Amino acid sequence: METATENKMVIKDLTMYYSGFKAIEDVSLDVPGQRITALIGPSGCGKSTLVRCLNRMNDLIEGVRVEGEVVLDDENIYRPSYDTIGLRRRVGMVFQRPNPFPKSIYENVAYGPKLIGIKKKPELDSIVEESLKKAALWNEVKANLQESGMRLSGGQQQRLCIARVIAVQPEVILFDEPCSAIDPVATQLIEDLMAELKANYTMVIVTHNMQQAARVSDFTAFMLVEEQGQPGKLIEYGDTSTIFTNPEDKRTERYITGRFG
Amino acid sequence: MGFSKQATMRAIVLGDRDRYVRLVMFVCASISFLAILLIFLFILKESLPAIRQVGIPGLFFSTNWNPNIAKPNAGHYGMLAFTWGTIMTTFGAMIIAAPLGIGAAIFIDQVAPEKMGRVVRRGIELLAGIPSVVIGWFGIILLIPLINGLTGTAGYGVLAASLVLVVMALPTITTLSAETMKAIPIELKEASVAMGATRWQTIYKVLVPSAREGLIIATILGMGRAIGETMAVQMVIGNARQLTFSPFQRTSTLTSRIVTNMGEATGVFRSALFAQALMLLLLSVFLIICIRLVSRERKA
Amino acid sequence: MSDRVRDGRRADRVATGLFWALGLITVALLAFIILEIFGRGLTTALNPKFIFGKPEAIKNGGGVFPMIVSSLYLVVLTLIISLPISLGAAIYMSEYAKKGRVSGFIRFCLDSLATLPSIVFGLFGMALFVVYFRWSYCLMAGACTLAILDLPILLRGTEEALRLVPNSHREASMSLGASKWTTIRQVVVPGAMPGIITATILPIGRIVGESAAIIYTTGLFVRNIPVSPFDTAAPLAGYVWYAQTEGIQADYIKIVNGGAALLLIMVLVIYFLARYLGKRYQEKRLLGG
Repeated sequence: METATENKMVIKDLTMYYSGFKAIEDVSLDVPGQRITALIGPSGCGKSTLVRCLNRMNDLIEGVRVEGEVVLDDENIYRPSYDTIGLRRRVGMVFQRPNPFPKSIYENVAYGPKLIGIKKKPELDSIVEESLKKAALWNEVKANLQESGMRLSGGQQQRLCIARVIAVQPEVILFDEPCSAIDPVATQLIEDLMAELKANYTMVIVTHNMQQAARVSDFTAFMLVEEQGQPGKLIEYGDTSTIFTNPEDKRTERYITGRFG
Repeated sequence: MGFSKQATMRAIVLGDRDRYVRLVMFVCASISFLAILLIFLFILKESLPAIRQVGIPGLFFSTNWNPNIAKPNAGHYGMLAFTWGTIMTTFGAMIIAAPLGIGAAIFIDQVAPEKMGRVVRRGIELLAGIPSVVIGWFGIILLIPLINGLTGTAGYGVLAASLVLVVMALPTITTLSAETMKAIPIELKEASVAMGATRWQTIYKVLVPSAREGLIIATILGMGRAIGETMAVQMVIGNARQLTFSPFQRTSTLTSRIVTNMGEATGVFRSALFAQALMLLLLSVFLIICIRLVSRERKA
Repeated sequence: MSDRVRDGRRADRVATGLFWALGLITVALLAFIILEIFGRGLTTALNPKFIFGKPEAIKNGGGVFPMIVSSLYLVVLTLIISLPISLGAAIYMSEYAKKGRVSGFIRFCLDSLATLPSIVFGLFGMALFVVYFRWSYCLMAGACTLAILDLPILLRGTEEALRLVPNSHREASMSLGASKWTTIRQVVVPGAMPGIITATILPIGRIVGESAAIIYTTGLFVRNIPVSPFDTAAPLAGYVWYAQTEGIQADYIKIVNGGAALLLIMVLVIYFLARYLGKRYQEKRLLGG
C-alpha cells in the first residue's frame, strides 16, 4: 500500500438534497493530493452529484441543500461566505459533453486568464500555448488558433476543454465522465493525458467504465443506490488495485464482476 | 500558484457586482409594468375634464355628438355612436377574418404540401408588415370604387372599414392559429387516421376541438387588432358623426374620430377625445380578461 | 363502398378544395395589394426628384426627402432607446428570474402592452413627452413612444435568443470561476448576438410603418431635414396619411401613391433582410461556427 500522501480534499459526512429529495447521504472520502481518485458505480448512484459538490457547481441548481463538510487544504468550502468563484478556479471541471465556447480556440483557452485580469497579449499567448501543450493539443491546432473551437472533433474539443481548465492553474481537476461522448481512440489519448497531468494536479474522475477506472486511477470509490428513491451512499473506498482484486464489500464485488451496473 | 491572490480579490468585487446587475435588469423588466401604469394614468388624467363637465352618461352612453370648437365647454360629446361604429366594424371584420384566418392556418398546417404551406406562411408574414396607411390607401383606390359600383352608395362606411380590417387582422389570427395547430400532439391525428377517418373528418372532429382554446384566443387577439386600428379605418369609413346601422353609410369609429378631430380640439373637446381613448383602453382590458378566462379554462 | 364512406370522401374533397381556396385567397390578397400599390406609385417612388425633393405644402412637385430621413432617423433613435432596455429585461427574464409570480406578472404586463391600440400609445406619448415634459413635437418623443410600443416584440425575440444559448456554455464559464454577470456578458450575450440582431429587424419594419403613434408625437409636415433629436420631423407613414386626409397639395394623389409605394419598398427590403439574416443565423447555430 502506498504511503499516505497528504489529502488535498477531504469529504466529511456529506449529504445533499435536491428540493427535499435526498440525493446522497453521509459520504466520507479522502482525495489524496497529486493522485487520481475514481468514482465508480451504476447510473444514478450519485457520483456526478458528489463530484459537483467539490466545486460547488450544484449551487447553480435551485433548491439544493448541503450538510456536512468538504475541506480543501484545511478550509471547509461550504462554510458561509466562502468565495465560490475563487473556489472554481482552484477546483476546475471537465464535463461529460465537451462544451467549448462558440469562440476561437485561442479565446477559449484565454477566457480563464482574462477573468483573473491578465490582459497583455504576450502573457496570454504564452499561457495559451503552455495550456494547449499540457493538454496534448498544441501541435494539432497551433496553426489555427483563430478557428472556432466548435469545429474540432469530439476528442479534440474535450482536450480543448482540458486546456481551458489548465489555463487557470487549478490545483484540482474534476472529470465528470469525460470520455463517455468520445470515440475510443480519443479516449485513449485523454487517458494518457490524465496520467501525465497527475504530476501537477490532483484529479477526481467519475466514470461508468470500470476498465477505465482500473487503468487510470490510484484510488477508487464505489457508490450505490440500494433501492429506488434511496439516496446514494459510498459503499467502499480504497486503493485501486485492492478494490478491483480483493474488495471488502460484497456489493462492490458484485458490481466489479459485472453482476449488475 | 501566482494567480490565487489576484484571483480572490477580483472575485470578491465581481461577486458583489452580481447583485447590482440583477437590480438593473429587474428595473428594465419593470418598465413594462411602469408603462402600462403610466398609460392608464395619463389617459385617465386627460379624460377627467370631460368626465367632470359632461358626466359619464353624457360621455359614454349618449349619441349626442356636437362639439363646439370655439367654446369647448358648450359642446356635446356623447361617443356612443362611435363605440357602436367600432363594434360594428370589428364584428363585420371578424365574420370574414376568423374563418378565413383559421381556414388558412389549417391549410398551412394540415392540407398544404410543404412548399405551398411555406408560401402562404411567408405571404401572411409579409401582409403583417404592410403599414396601415398603405392598406387604407388600397381601400380608397380599390374598395371604395368597387362598393360604389356594386351598390351605388358612396362606398365609404362600415363595409369598407370591415374589409380593410380583415386585411389587418388576418395575419394575427392566421399566425396564432397556425401555432396552435402545430402544437397539437401528432398522436391525436394519428389515432384518428388509424381509425379510417378522412382528413376533413380528422380536422373537424379531432384537431379543431382540441385546438379550440388557442383558436379562440387567436380570434380575440384579432379583434383587439381590429378595435385598435386607426389610420386604415379612418381613411375609408367616411368620418360622419351619425349613428348608423347600414354598412354603406358614412360613420365613425372611436379611433377614426380621435384622429379626425384631435388636430383642432382644445379644452373639454380634447378631453372628450381622450375619454374615447379611455374607452378603447377599457375595451382592450375587456379582451384581456376574456383571454385570461379562456386560458384558465384550458388549464383546468 | 357504403354510402357513408362515399359521403365522407366527397366531404373531404369539398373541404380540401375549400382550404386550398382559403390559402390561395390570402396569398392573392397580398399579391393584389402589392401590384396595385406598385402599379400606381412605383414610377413616382423611384423618381429621384421625388425621393430627394423637398415637400411642397400646396403646390405640386413636392418630394419626400425630409420624410425619408425622418423615418430612418426615427428607427435609429428608437433602437438606441429600446435595445438596451429590451436586452436588460430579456436578460432578467432569461437569466435571473425564477419561474414564479414576478416573472409571470411581467409577462402579463408585456402581453397586455402588446394588445393596446397604437393610437393610445400616440396620445400617451403626446400627453407625457410633448406636453408634460415640454419637448413639443419631436423625434425624441416619437422614439420614446415607439420604444414602449416595440418593447413586447423586441423582448420576446431577444429573450428567445438568450434562451437558445445552451446551458453547457453557462456551466463551463461558471466552472472556470466566472461570476454570473461575467458569464452573461462574455458568453451568453455574444452567443445570442446573431439571434438578437435578427430579432431587431422586425420591429424596424413596425417603426417605419407606424403612423397613429407618431403623428401626435413627432410631427406631420416639415420642410427641412430634421437634425437634432428634438427637432420636429415627419416620418413617411404619417406624411402619406396627412397628404391623403388633407388633400391640400395639388398633386396629393401622386404624392400618396408614391409615398405608399416607397413605404412598401422599405417594408419589403426589411422583410427580406430579416429572412436572410434569420437563415444565416440558423446555419450558424447548427454548424456552431
